[in-house]
Amino acid sequence: MWLPIQINEQSAEPLYYQIEVQLRALIVSGQLEEGTLLPSIREFAQLLKCSVITVRRVYQDLENEGLLRTKQGTGTYVARIEQNAMESYRLDAVTEALEAAVDAGKLVQCTREELAQLFQDVLERKFGG
Amino acid sequence: MTDTAVSLADVELRRPHFQLGPIDLEVPKGYVTAIVGPNGSGKSSTFRLVLDLIKPDKGEINLLGQSTTQEEDWRVKSKVGYLPELFSPHDDKLKASIKTGFVKKWYPEWDVNRYQELLRLFEVDDHIKLGKMSKGMRRKYEFALTLSHHPELLILDEPSSGLDPLAWRTMIEVLHRYMEPGGRTILMASHIVEEVKRLADYIVFMIHGRVLGVYEKDELFGSWHAFYVHGEKVSRKLVQQLPGQCGIEEAGGGMLRVITRQAPDAETWCGQEGITITHRQALQLDDILAILVEQERTRLRS
Repeated sequence: MWLPIQINEQSAEPLYYQIEVQLRALIVSGQLEEGTLLPSIREFAQLLKCSVITVRRVYQDLENEGLLRTKQGTGTYVARIEQNAMESYRLDAVTEALEAAVDAGKLVQCTREELAQLFQDVLERKFGG
Repeated sequence: MTDTAVSLADVELRRPHFQLGPIDLEVPKGYVTAIVGPNGSGKSSTFRLVLDLIKPDKGEINLLGQSTTQEEDWRVKSKVGYLPELFSPHDDKLKASIKTGFVKKWYPEWDVNRYQELLRLFEVDDHIKLGKMSKGMRRKYEFALTLSHHPELLILDEPSSGLDPLAWRTMIEVLHRYMEPGGRTILMASHIVEEVKRLADYIVFMIHGRVLGVYEKDELFGSWHAFYVHGEKVSRKLVQQLPGQCGIEEAGGGMLRVITRQAPDAETWCGQEGITITHRQALQLDDILAILVEQERTRLRS
């Protein structure tokens, strides 16, 4: 099974965190439907070239959040997610991306006003005037 | 606490030109542990000690729950698959299938179908004399032989040496599938950065006969970063205090490249000191090894 998860090795974010954010987004956006069987821990680790320790942690964390469930002996599945839970997770990945954009701006000494203006410009362009 | 497949406690091996240890090492069951180190750092000797092919001068070794100082138990060894780095030339005159016939007698779990499957996968013909095989072919044959009794523990010494890129990929595939059922363990030595990245869960650095530490792979790569910093405040003197600092060099244009082995702490520190990190770079395994070797050299000199 292939999952569209990109790892950025140069990032300051720990690997397990990067994977968690993206996998969570895939689940709450409905791209991974309820009942989907996820790869085994070893398989997923192989796919992402990371250690099984990292994948185990990701599965564990998302299971604690109620997004995944593990059936003994058969594997890890996408759990049923309540509609309001979906809503609270929906914006996480977007928030993450915006934070990265602001960090990029701060790196080249953008002011708050400049960034706000840039954001407005991008909105105009993407949504049309 | 995870189970341990292999453990060495205070193990020493003394030779006229080489001293190994004291080594303390625990290899966790169910994981791939890769030992990384320069030539002659004692990786192969460590494997031979674990397999009881040589006796330590001191210390305690435990293999799959059995102490090697106790009476030898062949049943424990039959659960181990060992691929040495070099093969002795004394079986060069043997046809591969004859060697297989001899080897399989030692393993109650020997699985002829598994053996045939591996030979097919690696395109190895076992009717050839071992001495007539190319280096890669010989390696693939020995690799198939190592895996055909469904070992609980695999000890692989530079497994990919002599393999072409395609055979190398097949080997990685086979090892991933070997690990899939869980409860199995690989202990390997490798210089191949990509191989360690693809396979290992834990990395052990071994230099001059000493174990410098066992690290979870992703944590290791997440901790060793190079920061590029500049600015009026930035000076060599200041960045020397960067947490986990392991080296500073000029990167041109007033920029300093600082290496840290504690990236998260170092980042917090930069924030507190008002230092902007212009760029960061995760170090590769060979970069990290080079720094550790240099530190070890400095330590030995002082």
